[in-house]
Amino acid sequence: MNWRKYVKIIHRDLGYIFFGLTVIYSISGIAVNHVDEWNPNYKIENKTFAITPNPDSSAANETMIAYVIEQLAITDTVKNVFRSGPVSIDIFFENKTVNANLLTGNVNMEIVNSRPVIRETNFLHLNAPKKLWTYVADAFAFGLIILAITGLFMLKGKNGITGRGKWLTIAGVLLPLIFLLLYI
Amino acid sequence: MKRIINAALVLMLAATMLYAGDGKKYGNDLTLKETTQVSDILANPEKFEGKKVLIEGTIVDVCPTRGCWIDISSDKEYQTIKVKVKDGEIVFPMEAKGKTAVVEGEVYSFVPAVQEESKHAEGEKMEKANKTECGDKTAEGGCCSGETKVTKVYQIKGLGAVIKS
Repeated sequence: MNWRKYVKIIHRDLGYIFFGLTVIYSISGIAVNHVDEWNPNYKIENKTFAITPNPDSSAANETMIAYVIEQLAITDTVKNVFRSGPVSIDIFFENKTVNANLLTGNVNMEIVNSRPVIRETNFLHLNAPKKLWTYVADAFAFGLIILAITGLFMLKGKNGITGRGKWLTIAGVLLPLIFLLLYI
Repeated sequence: MKRIINAALVLMLAATMLYAGDGKKYGNDLTLKETTQVSDILANPEKFEGKKVLIEGTIVDVCPTRGCWIDISSDKEYQTIKVKVKDGEIVFPMEAKGKTAVVEGEVYSFVPAVQEESKHAEGEKMEKANKTECGDKTAEGGCCSGETKVTKVYQIKGLGAVIKS
């Protein structure tokens, strides 16, 4: 059995094993690459409302909450509350927060919804779980190095590393180097 | 081969269940036992600067882009304190808003960049004013002495947190 056969076996099996992780890391990679343009984990919607002002700074939180949710016709259960000022209050619901100013009647409602799949891929890609996942991610990174190296020697002949593969490999190495020279 | 794969899957599942966090603990374990009132920190921040504290309060705001800070309500009305964590080291979820958090961290201060810039701009303005109105007199103790009051902002460098459900 020649060495190239082992290279192919290693490349093939690592490819199977790391298929899922490669897809996860790639999706998250694209998502977090554009973090300045969008929130990769949440869809945040802000709505503004105008309610009838009721500036009673001595009003208890419960009175203020009842007034705001009645004005906005909210039926969700109140999770918590924070009195941010004498006539302003933050009311927390399961996936929304209402900031109401009873002096002006201005209300901002922030509705937060998780981006399914993408958020989970980011969670793993950015190593939020830490602990054991750190070792899985390390193994994946090491596996990618093995995949890259074995990939170079899979084929022989004109499409192998001594032929066309050589030029494509050089191009692939030059690409990040050019950007490093341009931006550093 | 099948047996090995099955055994590996069972092992992975067990390990994941064993090691996966309960989703409530963030960063380091909490080491302090006694909580400090946020109002005490805000009333006398210099006393706490550089010291480790344990605080508890409602999470009233979360960094919407990276989950890298949370605002914790004080025991007194209208007050909050910001807990800043290193980007990526701890990521607070947006769902944490409205929940109670126990946070351990170090009190620190900084001068906001805007103030620094305005101080610099004011300094330049004063320099020009000195030249036009006071000849070449320096601002120090002169007729155009204009000290800009710079307000320090106190925050907590978050090291670990537990968010109660």
